[in-house]
Amino acid sequence: MQDAVFRLKNISKTFPGVRALSHIDFDLIPGEIHCICGENGAGKSTLIKIISGAYQPDAGGTIEFEGKACSLTPHSAMTLGIQTIYQEHTVFPDLSVTENIFAGLEVAHGGVISRKEMRAKTEEVLAYLHCGLNPDDNVGKLSSGQKKMVEIAKALVFRRKIVILDEPTSSFSASEIDMLLDVVKKVASTGLAIAYISHHLDEVFRIADRITVLRDGQKIITCPIDEIDEAQLIRDMVGRDASAFYSREYFEPGEAALEARNLTGNGVKDISFTVRRGEIVGFAGMVGSGRSELMTLLMGGAPKKSGAIFIFGEKANLKKPSDAIRHKMCYITEDRQNTGLFLKHSIARNTIAANLVNMKKTFISPREDVRIADEYIKKLGTKARNSHMLAMNLSGGNQQKVVLAKWFNTNGEIFIFDEPTRGIDVGAKQEIYQIMMGLLKQNKAVIMVSSDMPEVISMSDRVIVMKNGCIQGEIDRQDISEENILQYSIGGSKQ
Amino acid sequence: MNDLTRKKGVFSRRGDMSTVVLISVAFAVLVVLIQLISGLVNDGRMSYPSFISPLNLLNILMQVAGTGILVMGMTSVMIAGGIDLSVGMMVSMVGIFVAKGIKDWGIDPAPAILLGILIAVAAEAMMGFIISRLNVESFIITLGGMIAFRGIALLMCRSQEVTLSQNLEFFKFNLIEGAKAGGLSLTLPIYVIIFFLMTAVFWALLKYTKYGRRVYAVGSNPQAAYLSGINVKSIQLITYIINGLCVGIGGVLMLARVNVGTINLGQNLEIDVIAAVVIGGVAMSGGKGSPMGSFIGVILMGAIANAMNIMRIQSEWQFFVKGLIIIVAVAGGELSSRIAARRQLKKM
Repeated sequence: MQDAVFRLKNISKTFPGVRALSHIDFDLIPGEIHCICGENGAGKSTLIKIISGAYQPDAGGTIEFEGKACSLTPHSAMTLGIQTIYQEHTVFPDLSVTENIFAGLEVAHGGVISRKEMRAKTEEVLAYLHCGLNPDDNVGKLSSGQKKMVEIAKALVFRRKIVILDEPTSSFSASEIDMLLDVVKKVASTGLAIAYISHHLDEVFRIADRITVLRDGQKIITCPIDEIDEAQLIRDMVGRDASAFYSREYFEPGEAALEARNLTGNGVKDISFTVRRGEIVGFAGMVGSGRSELMTLLMGGAPKKSGAIFIFGEKANLKKPSDAIRHKMCYITEDRQNTGLFLKHSIARNTIAANLVNMKKTFISPREDVRIADEYIKKLGTKARNSHMLAMNLSGGNQQKVVLAKWFNTNGEIFIFDEPTRGIDVGAKQEIYQIMMGLLKQNKAVIMVSSDMPEVISMSDRVIVMKNGCIQGEIDRQDISEENILQYSIGGSKQ
Repeated sequence: MNDLTRKKGVFSRRGDMSTVVLISVAFAVLVVLIQLISGLVNDGRMSYPSFISPLNLLNILMQVAGTGILVMGMTSVMIAGGIDLSVGMMVSMVGIFVAKGIKDWGIDPAPAILLGILIAVAAEAMMGFIISRLNVESFIITLGGMIAFRGIALLMCRSQEVTLSQNLEFFKFNLIEGAKAGGLSLTLPIYVIIFFLMTAVFWALLKYTKYGRRVYAVGSNPQAAYLSGINVKSIQLITYIINGLCVGIGGVLMLARVNVGTINLGQNLEIDVIAAVVIGGVAMSGGKGSPMGSFIGVILMGAIANAMNIMRIQSEWQFFVKGLIIIVAVAGGELSSRIAARRQLKKM
């Protein structure tokens, strides 16, 4: 076996309050495809960002490139020959394939760009890859799979030594995935080392030479692919101490509150499920599996193509979020800052915003806003000096409480929580869970989208797992476990 | 409820308006000082017509009333996150239409005025519709509107001035006929009262109504507003329609004041209007500000221009000072809101 071109030794990375990586050893050998697996939040992105120089590791670890210790910045990583291909496309849609590959690194002689030379080099690489691209194609017109090819071709043109692929196949069609995997193998066979991050285990087993599994910032194992099988891999990815779980009470579910029948649109297909009063239905799945898209669809925030929504047994025609609010639905969005709060406005203004739909009167006194907001500050224990404080000056947990107050004030019956505790510290997390339990006691129905495994497992009465915009399976309370959830969300087979 | 006590102050929750208030106070103090000093230098006799005489204060109000009405419309457009560059040329268009209608086309003053206002409302509704439905930049659409309205206005008057005889005297009716101060008779025309009324209406509209809350919400975060059940598009559209109403009324009053329908009526007016609104604490990004702030802003701008005229400062300097004040007001506003934020955090 060849020597490693790149080696991380004892790397840790700490963010305020969170240890994202602890004592990781990791290496890349020329010509290999090294897959990195782990759940959401296991530390994969942090690891990539350290390899690409975007993050500096904590003191104590060393980075070696071709045997020499070095420290990386995005620029120095690039000059050493490390190329990162991110999940989102970073191409210039109005330029040709050649121009994209050479953007910022044009070949020039005496200040004059040499188009011919650049085109010839591009053509050579594209021919080698057999990917059916023409150097003169306009990149904006290519499919997302072909765009990814362009970025991979760049690595060959500039003879990079390491390529990092972060979730390259999300939003690809099956044939595109096949083509991309072929191309990746060909690229590796030229002697490049490839770090490949994927949620799709079937892909991993098709192309990996070695696998590294991360869990909660720790490295669990690095081993050649033939020493591990899918069941073992999933077992390595899960497993956690009991302290991460919240113990809740359960209630007898009541009547059906919300029912979706064959709902299609906004990137999700043929979704059917029911949520009853007094229960929490958890939606699990990998990031990008279509859960938030489904929630937006339920709220009327995107047009549905087919299917129907029934609320308390009656068919509801939800064309816009205001219709959904009138039907007693509440949507605590995933991204508080961008879709939940009016950051420049006071807590009082935020608190009354969603209930404007239900208000009959035209005139409102600001004093009334303040009274309502003060009430919720007390009830939810929001840490704020008063209700005139601007939302942007609150901490994450308190901002979330303001969002909750905004929805509680609408007297809703059906609550959709999308990542309710993202970016919230542990103490506030418990408080949010207690608030959710309070909703169940009041006999409300709750839908919870979460990528936080312990949260899904300990809070849900039932778990619905999504993958690629479809419901992959539904798990009853007694069967909820990380293995079962992962089996549905990343495993190859639909059971 | 002790921990929830309300605290008012320049640097706390009224941060939006604090800068404009501070500048106004500083300006007033400066003017009074200069007047006192110049008075002393001249053996106790005032050398210039006094800035703070009742006559001059009323003058300032008369000068800013027309602009002030436009400022109210612009305030609501900008709080909702938009901007309207076409107001100046629309004033010219309305002015020329009304003047032409009364003088050459034989329309009675009342219907002519009504039609003029309707034209402004329709034009704004059109632009507002395009901006809100297609979700395009208001800057570009209203820039296009500004150029187009200029063309229409010039076509209507064949690039000539239209001078009215006393057809619109009603708006200049002096409400305090016979009142005197220091031997000079004072005038308080109706259009100043209309300006005050409009300010009061906008203040109530944006502060005390459901619609007002929605305007702020849309300007602060359109996505969150949409998901909170607010019809973002129609709220935006309505701000433009209301703005059209303001432009129509303001245009008619400005015509009444000068009695000449000409393209110069609204030339560069949008700059003054936007400047006053911004000085008053409205953020270009929307969601912040108030009609009261804008009211002070427009009066401050007018007062500064007036004071400099009285002190016989060259007009070149006046531009410089006006520009400087805009920069100071906006930069200072940002600074004071940061200070406010830091104090709030410290006290927690």
